[in-house]
Amino acid sequence: MKKILSITFILVLTVSILTGCGTKETTGNGQVDDQVTIGIGQFAEHPSLDNCRKGFLAGLAEEGYIENDNLKVLFDNAQTDGGNATQIATNFMAKKVDLICGIATPMAQSAYGTAKDSDIPVIFTAVSDPVLAELAKEDNTPVGNVTGTSDKLPVKEQLEMIRSILPEAKTIGILYTTSEANSVSTIEVYKELASQYDFEIVESGIATTADIPLATDNLLQKVDCISNLTDNTVVSSLPVILEKAKDKNIPVFGSEVEQVKIGCLAAFGIDYYDLGVQTGKMAAQVLKGEKKASEMNFETIEGASFYGNTAVATQLGITLPIDLVSSAKEMFDNILE
Amino acid sequence: MLTILIGVLEEGLVYAILALGVYITYKILDFPDLSVDGTFPLGGAITAELIIAGVNPILTLFISFIVGALAGILTGIIHVKLKVRDLLSGIIMMTALYSINLRIAGANVPIFSKESIFENKFLDILIPEVFQPYLVLTILLIIIIIMKVLLDQYLKTKSGYLLRAVGDNDALVTSLAKDKGTVKIVGLALANAFVALAGSVYVQKSGFFEISTGTGAIVIGLASVIIGTNLFKKFSFIKATTAVIAGSIIYKGCVAIAISFGMVTSDMKLVTAILFLAILIISGDRKRRVKSNA
Repeated sequence: MKKILSITFILVLTVSILTGCGTKETTGNGQVDDQVTIGIGQFAEHPSLDNCRKGFLAGLAEEGYIENDNLKVLFDNAQTDGGNATQIATNFMAKKVDLICGIATPMAQSAYGTAKDSDIPVIFTAVSDPVLAELAKEDNTPVGNVTGTSDKLPVKEQLEMIRSILPEAKTIGILYTTSEANSVSTIEVYKELASQYDFEIVESGIATTADIPLATDNLLQKVDCISNLTDNTVVSSLPVILEKAKDKNIPVFGSEVEQVKIGCLAAFGIDYYDLGVQTGKMAAQVLKGEKKASEMNFETIEGASFYGNTAVATQLGITLPIDLVSSAKEMFDNILE
Repeated sequence: MLTILIGVLEEGLVYAILALGVYITYKILDFPDLSVDGTFPLGGAITAELIIAGVNPILTLFISFIVGALAGILTGIIHVKLKVRDLLSGIIMMTALYSINLRIAGANVPIFSKESIFENKFLDILIPEVFQPYLVLTILLIIIIIMKVLLDQYLKTKSGYLLRAVGDNDALVTSLAKDKGTVKIVGLALANAFVALAGSVYVQKSGFFEISTGTGAIVIGLASVIIGTNLFKKFSFIKATTAVIAGSIIYKGCVAIAISFGMVTSDMKLVTAILFLAILIISGDRKRRVKSNA
């Protein structure tokens, strides 16, 4: 009996601790009549995706849906586990949310797969290739009650930028995780376009974070510079790569602003916050009933921009071309530790 | 409330197929088979690729079953013939299958636009609109009942008896002039066939294959088996296979309750671990097991 009591105690305690600190749902304080509830599922914890979510809420706010006011937000993160993603989507369905937002491909697919037979619209963002992910048809029209925004990397512009910063470089190394679909498809684009700029792509596929140090050492032997994708696993270990590249005096290019902040030389990338804002506005249209998700084509973000880090440039002894610097959306003169 | 219930039942039934497989290895054979984390996505990877190639969705269930069995046979050979410890054989197979699954399917394969066992022209004509919300559940029920009855029948055959004997008292098998190694391989083949079938059903239900889905499949399977067999231990009229299926649904129910209390999904592993431990302590199962392993 004592045993059962103590177990019950442990269980209750754990539940209460977890619910205490783990709750991320926010209940509205000013109860408005036309209160809406949305569920946001994010596939991984990672600066670009976090920015995307912040932008999404900002976009909704611009259209009059203010969190904690007339908007109740349920949020959950799948921590890169496909099983969790399905669980999150099922939970949102059970809570009968008015809209589900799926951030990154697997989360978007889980949300669509789960909500497909209901009338809950799904809005996705940070999906590199919605057509390949079967979240949109070949002609970019929706496959169902689902639409959103794509974060396809501007590979052509990135290659152009690398060429103008490093006129002598021949090889670009790319680290990517073989289990991340976004990376695999972006690598293909790189390979296709590289020859136009006289580059050769050296790819190195990894399976887990633990492979990164060795793969980086190996890659740095063979390449003139490294270019980064938005690969979840690689981006979370970017400091390791930057450190090793610095020792060899090899420049590392990023794929978005957060990576330049922490020590990539430069990036031609999209702003995930802006992407989120654009997505949030689309979601607002659906929530207001102006349009149905099934009537809206997915959108891509217009205009990628240049980001550079002069502190890294000085370290490497490289001068960033003046025309790039003058067109930069943002320049950094220190390295964020 | 009804949505939650249907959700729990659907999820529970998909994983119940997997749990039946884990039941064969963990309970009957007394073999901690970790290859499950590889064979579950294996079934899914094969199904996704076959469906894209235009193979009939029902046929993919059979093919996944057979390929799963082959993977199980390999685990068995590693253990029995190459004399690698049981736990390690499973880990080796699971690790190898991760790469193989990526080779077969790649990281992410959507099949939303294709026909599946849950969504096809045939069902569209046959099933009236009002019945639509219960369609997936009904199909899952049919599959699980067929698999349960087949397993029950198999366990009554001579081969089935030998399987149980290897787990309980392998000296008996040897005394019957049977090779216990072969029996183990048969058991592992059958178990992993069930698991791969579960993977196939899972992918057809969710509409896409994603490599990360396999992680932790074994834990869900074990949780279902342990919950089911321990909760219904006193009811001798309930067959162990039925108990395992119920265990899977109860487990998914617990997860749903924990989430509705406001826990986040990433806390679920801890919830599972605690649930696990609690049930093992209450049922006193661990003592017997520790002794028998010592």
